[in-house]
Amino acid sequence: MSEELKKRITDLFHEKSKGDKKMFYIRDVTKWLPDEDRHAIQNAVKVLLDEEVLVYWSSGSSSYIMLPEFFPKEEGTCS
Amino acid sequence: MEKSKTPLLDELEKGKWPSFVTDMKQAAQKSPMAEDLLSQLELSYKDKIGHWKHGGIVGVKGYGGGVIGRYSDRPDLFPNVQAFHTMRINHPTGWFYKTDALRNLCDVWDKHGSGLTNMHGSTGDAILLGTTTEHIQPCFDDLSAAGFDLGGSGSALRTPSACVGPGRCEWACIDSLDVCYNLTMEFQDKIHRPMFPYKFKIKVSACPNDCVASIARSDFSIIGTWKGKILINPAEVTAYASSDLDIQKEVCDLCPTKCMEWDSKELKIHDEDCTRCMHCINLMPKALRPGKEKGATILVGGKAPIVEGALLSWVIVPFIKLEPPYTELKELIERIQDWWDENAKSRERLGELIKRLGMRVFLRGVGLPAVPQMVKAPRSNPYVFFWPEDIKQEVK
Repeated sequence: MSEELKKRITDLFHEKSKGDKKMFYIRDVTKWLPDEDRHAIQNAVKVLLDEEVLVYWSSGSSSYIMLPEFFPKEEGTCS
Repeated sequence: MEKSKTPLLDELEKGKWPSFVTDMKQAAQKSPMAEDLLSQLELSYKDKIGHWKHGGIVGVKGYGGGVIGRYSDRPDLFPNVQAFHTMRINHPTGWFYKTDALRNLCDVWDKHGSGLTNMHGSTGDAILLGTTTEHIQPCFDDLSAAGFDLGGSGSALRTPSACVGPGRCEWACIDSLDVCYNLTMEFQDKIHRPMFPYKFKIKVSACPNDCVASIARSDFSIIGTWKGKILINPAEVTAYASSDLDIQKEVCDLCPTKCMEWDSKELKIHDEDCTRCMHCINLMPKALRPGKEKGATILVGGKAPIVEGALLSWVIVPFIKLEPPYTELKELIERIQDWWDENAKSRERLGELIKRLGMRVFLRGVGLPAVPQMVKAPRSNPYVFFWPEDIKQEVK
């Protein structure tokens, strides 16, 4: 797993989260990095989720990925 | 007489069918969560609006799905359902439980949740309704100890499901239970760690009766079928003819392709015209049976109305032998999911993507040849399958 790719993804989440939108589809992440292999990005995101650098948020039907600090407080902590 | 606290919900107990309200009232006698759930539902009927906020928490350690967060928007009135999360539990294939397994499941849920269940949800999972955030992980740990796992939710492979198949059905052309179990085990990561553009469903029916409605409800449908002739037992045909069954009227005339002939003595089937509707076999099970060479038809693209409208699945592989370890099937699923993952927009199902880009783009993307059985409906234009260069080559 490329540490550089993980860092790029993490940095992009911080940068993109400065706007109103805090939750992103995995498709958004692959679009941010058009030069990278889609599978490599997905694997890096999985590692970042394991490391709790990122967290999932789900509506039940769709899944989103976000930085933990933006996970809605009233909804409790994300396991 | 004491006035009912739920006069609107009481109306739902007056019909002749079993009522979920009655079940909830029973649960409310020992569960404060169920009691508040009833009261909140009564308020929803009064206000004509739902009082839930959906979304949020997704699972347990290492999982990105299987738990659907739900919160009351009136925790001031109903504190016991402030958090009322749903847990989706991967059901045993074909929904075969031993009673001790069911007791274990219910004991765990009485300990950690409201005690209310939905057996089963439309995806197939055992749905456990209503637990708090702090109970999710301990509940999962207890369920794991009892041999259960979470099912899929969100943008993931949803829990594959199958009909009872050869476990109970004489018409099974494939071992739907084994196929489903194999796929579930193979694709564990895709179930538990959502990375798809949207949901992806696999359903397995062992014969064309399609008892799990895979053709209407799944992105990837596996339906048992046969090659060759329907097997006829002439003596049993005669026995049916001398019973109350009017073979001409009730069997031949209702055959959708009119591929059967009955002269009051002999039943003839023009098998080349049979579309496997199963009507004749269902009506005359002792006289007719599926043919000897058995396998499955693979279809893709079925889905319910959300987001773009309902779609029925489309044949992509007319016949495939299905034997363990199902390598060819698994590789096909991988190729299809990869093509969909690469090309779909967020929240676009496989069927919608094929509709947007075209079947020929899909076939080229996943490396399948166009065959006549893919023509979706009578009078459909088969040239949708051809690339311009193919047509030019043909004209020369």
